[in-house]
Amino acid sequence: MPADEGLLDRIVNWLPTTLGFKRVASWILVPYWAHKTPVKPLPGGPHASFQHGDNVQCMMNLIMPLKVKSPIGRAEAALAIAQNKDAIYAGLNNVGTVHFARFVIVGDNICMFSVYDGDFTNYIRDFIATIGQVFNAVVSLVEGGDDVIPCEENVEAFIQWVHERDLYQVPDTPTDFLRDQEALNGDRAVSPVNDDLTLLPRKLVLQLRANPNVSLGSGYRAYPGYSAAQVRERLGLGW
Amino acid sequence: MVDTSVAKQLVQAIIDNLPAPVGPRRPVHTIGIGVKGEFVASNVARNYCIAEQFQGQPVPASVRFSNGLGGPDQHDGWSDVRGMATRFHISDGKGSDLIATTLGEFFVRNVDDFFKFTEIAKLAPYSRLSWWQKLCDLVKLKVPDRDPYLNETENVNAGALRYANQHRFAQLGVFQAAVIGAPVSYARASYHAVHTFWVTAPNGVRRPVRFSWQPVAGVCNTDPMAVPQDKYLFKELDERLKKWPARFMLMMTIGEAGDAIDDCTKPWPGTRLRISMGTLTLLKVSEDQEADGERISFNPNRLAPGIEPSADPILEARLGAYEASREIRGGCPFKWSKVDAG
Repeated sequence: MPADEGLLDRIVNWLPTTLGFKRVASWILVPYWAHKTPVKPLPGGPHASFQHGDNVQCMMNLIMPLKVKSPIGRAEAALAIAQNKDAIYAGLNNVGTVHFARFVIVGDNICMFSVYDGDFTNYIRDFIATIGQVFNAVVSLVEGGDDVIPCEENVEAFIQWVHERDLYQVPDTPTDFLRDQEALNGDRAVSPVNDDLTLLPRKLVLQLRANPNVSLGSGYRAYPGYSAAQVRERLGLGW
Repeated sequence: MVDTSVAKQLVQAIIDNLPAPVGPRRPVHTIGIGVKGEFVASNVARNYCIAEQFQGQPVPASVRFSNGLGGPDQHDGWSDVRGMATRFHISDGKGSDLIATTLGEFFVRNVDDFFKFTEIAKLAPYSRLSWWQKLCDLVKLKVPDRDPYLNETENVNAGALRYANQHRFAQLGVFQAAVIGAPVSYARASYHAVHTFWVTAPNGVRRPVRFSWQPVAGVCNTDPMAVPQDKYLFKELDERLKKWPARFMLMMTIGEAGDAIDDCTKPWPGTRLRISMGTLTLLKVSEDQEADGERISFNPNRLAPGIEPSADPILEARLGAYEASREIRGGCPFKWSKVDAG
């Protein structure tokens, strides 16, 4: 501890680590700054890119609130997946662009996390064609899902519905996060600009208020750049 | 190519911003330690690059770890960029260098940017914020500036931030440098060569790549809330290597069309192909620090045939700047030209 540090210095240094300050900040400061400097929700899904590496092993992270928020509702969701295991495998093998897909229940949400190759809309379209009935079974249990089922008859609306529930993927670098905010606000300024990098913490806090659920980073890959088809082919698994 | 006078100006701009004269030593990364080691390429490295160090035979290596700050004083525990300069001792007494730092991206794109940066990011007095200034920052949901370290009376932070606020290309590098911290060991940090290089495969295919060293022991920083110690990294490394060698994996990321090839301020996405090129084993701290650390002159453009520099203006400028710096301190001269390396 430096010798010239007074009691008030020590208190203020300690303050941000306390639960009390974090609660007060959450109740008062965050709503205040959200009102003063409104932040729009950032769209979900992978960032658009033409580059090969960005179009394989893409992530989809859906969080879908269940209609029945109780163990009954969660059991219904679990049953819907368990009853369709064969259909899911058949779809997976037929589509051939999925590295993995997981259904997870978190609280009263049924979540679908998957890693797939290629275009998002084609990915969903392919699965509607192969396992549309599984989607129907799951989505019928989810808030707002009735409007888009049966998905085979509401293809475009269903794709949009899924996209709206796909989590925003916070970029790997803090400055790319700032660029996302600027792009959403139509700011495409180039140097020289008049930014204030010290506002980054507040911008992040307010963004996480607008997008409470996010995916952190673009994913950490052991073998980036390879499609599911390439992996299966090189491992001699057939495709 | 950057002419000699510009190279000297680059070095002078750095010297002019030092907190104290360093004499015949490096003006940045002044404090460092030389280590002996050996590099063995992975079994796939030779498929991507014909350079001698990637053919699979053990290659002796000299490594100099350093603190990024210029100046004669050692402040291991301060938040600072660290350096890892590696020379692969290939045949006929030649070397191939790989210079990396813990900074993932640089903060200027070219020589002009660098001179403007040094005009703005000058050493300036640095003092503790008053408690009420900190409280104001907290109310604004900002993180207050850290307290000065013991004996830290000036730094370039305010100027660097001012520059970054005006130039978006600089923001990532400046931000990363501001939060970089201090490693518990030189052997527990990742080091990135920042620039793009072109490597040639046996079939003649040329690929744009970026190199990084990943510590096998894992990345670990000191507690930023603890009072930093000034001198621990040399002793820690010496004691570590006396017990067991330390290892680094050399990872090579392959760029794609559209990636920033000639701009070291721009990162490549994590979705690019990443090849394990080999393992560097650090064996011991060199007994002759003068010969193996201080007088050895690394240069990011000293490259074995099979590796070529990209047209990154900063990489090109470093060719001359490192030579100008070497002349000042009397280190070993640059032996290879770009033509030799092609």
